[in-house]
Amino acid sequence: MLTVVLQQGINGIVFGSLYVLVALGLTLIYGVLVQINFAHADVVTIGAFAAYFFTFAFGGNYLISIGIALMAGAALGWLVNAAIFAPLRERGNELLPLIATIGVSILLQNAMLLWFGPIPYAFDSPYSNKVIRLWGGTFITLQNLIIVVVSALTIALLYAFMKFTFMGKALRAVSQDRETAGLMGVNPNQLIMLTFVIASALAGMGGAMLGPILVLTPFAGTTVIVKAFAIVIIGGFGNVEGTIIAGLVVGLIESYTTQFVNPGLTDIVVFTLLLLMLALRPTGLIAEKREENV
Amino acid sequence: MSDALLAVSGLIAGYGAIEVLRGIDLEVAAGEIVAVLGSNGAGKSTLNRTISGVLRATHGSIRFADSAIERERPATIVARGLIHVPEGRCVFPNLTIMENLDLGSYRRGRVRRESNRERVFAIFPRLAERRSQRAGTLSGGEQQMLAIGRALMAEPKLLILDEPSLGLSPLLVEELFALIRRINGEGIALLLVEQNVVQCLEVARRAYILEKGVFVLHGNSADIRDDPNLKRAYLGL
Ligand SMILES: Nc1ncnc2c1ncn2[C@@H]1O[C@H](COP(=O)(O)OP(=O)(O)OP(=O)(O)O)[C@@H](O)[C@H]1O
Ligand SMILES: [Mg+2]
Repeated sequence: MLTVVLQQGINGIVFGSLYVLVALGLTLIYGVLVQINFAHADVVTIGAFAAYFFTFAFGGNYLISIGIALMAGAALGWLVNAAIFAPLRERGNELLPLIATIGVSILLQNAMLLWFGPIPYAFDSPYSNKVIRLWGGTFITLQNLIIVVVSALTIALLYAFMKFTFMGKALRAVSQDRETAGLMGVNPNQLIMLTFVIASALAGMGGAMLGPILVLTPFAGTTVIVKAFAIVIIGGFGNVEGTIIAGLVVGLIESYTTQFVNPGLTDIVVFTLLLLMLALRPTGLIAEKREENV
Repeated sequence: MSDALLAVSGLIAGYGAIEVLRGIDLEVAAGEIVAVLGSNGAGKSTLNRTISGVLRATHGSIRFADSAIERERPATIVARGLIHVPEGRCVFPNLTIMENLDLGSYRRGRVRRESNRERVFAIFPRLAERRSQRAGTLSGGEQQMLAIGRALMAEPKLLILDEPSLGLSPLLVEELFALIRRINGEGIALLLVEQNVVQCLEVARRAYILEKGVFVLHGNSADIRDDPNLKRAYLGL
């Protein structure tokens, strides 16, 4: 029994850390723009496809493919913000960029449908069947170990960036009070671009590691993004620490619900938790006093 | 007077179709303290925000340290040494005091930020004690001190303070005006927007009275202070 609990704990953390990667991007963008990016799901999908083609079409190493997906995501984030979102924001309308993210999402999905077709791709990581035994009869596959280590390192790096660098501090300042940040000599547009690039890079690399788990079709990212939205809300809209905790909690809840209750109920449990959070603690897990952005 | 540090002339600005500033001429010489006084809604903050580049002027020119800045972005204006402390609680509440101060040196004075920080801590010992505390946990007065300290991190040539005494106790207001003298003693020019007329006229060399977007009067502080009619007419004293 204890073994099962531990084992499901490990699995939960594996899933949870992937959710955190994806949700952090949404959180960062929400933080600086108070805007939901609906195209985030498709960056995840494109990351998964980038890793798939690098590994199988070009015979590349899977670990390197994670880096490729990261760069593909970053490039896409840059492109989409430079070409579409930033010009729309310049016009000073709040709603246009939001609607544009839906438009970009549909555009990306259909482009992928055109190129990759609707039939699922079999994306097997070469590390999936290498098993590492752990204490008390539990185990972890090498693939899952890679997921946990890569995610943890990435999250730690991001955290250090936000905490210790001038750019990271400026990013947090912009998300708290854009006008005052401007008076510090921060260029908000530059920081918004940086946010899109980081968020999309995280989504891309998340996609590369989700690829072997998901059914890889042009719509693969959507299944994850719904949970990521829930995590962003549970974590307290735009709160980085809250998102990390919420992501892990959701991963664990899923894992334990699957094992001890009923696999079909996982989404119900997660979204019940979401509704409870909204009712009881609308500010999220970590109550951070946010000044409303203008 | 082409030797003025800041020279505003014929400035018109506002929000969309609403014209708030309707032709402003103002000068601040290097090392000078100049006061802008006026009732609520006169356009004082709008003037500050236009000078610091947050708002675009529709007409007129703003020159600072011999460059035209009316078309420049706030970041560029900060880099030139014109630092604006906006009205109200304007620290970043979820950043620590240290982080707030660091942001002050984001664009200017970054290499000397350690020594500048020590200078700020020497002026505000209370900030030094709480350096790793979130700025949102400070009292209103302490937040105002932090905002000023943060501005000093950028090694300003001209410091614009928008109602720094707002919400401070009389004792703290005394401290604030002593501080303003001290900052000015280091050669920093100040444009001081205040509703605290009496003390403001004491520290400022010259003053401008703003009403409904135009200066109805300007002159030496002493003259304005000592003329009872002027005081009654424009300052409600
Ligand atoms: N963002 C804005 N959009 C539209 N109008 C504004 C905006 N901010 C200020 N105003 C208007 O501009 C006028 C001047 O406002 P401003 O804040 O400059 O006055 P003030 O002299 O600083 O007043 P106070 O002493 O209350 O701070 C006011 O009539 C105000 O309603
Ligand atoms: Mg004002």
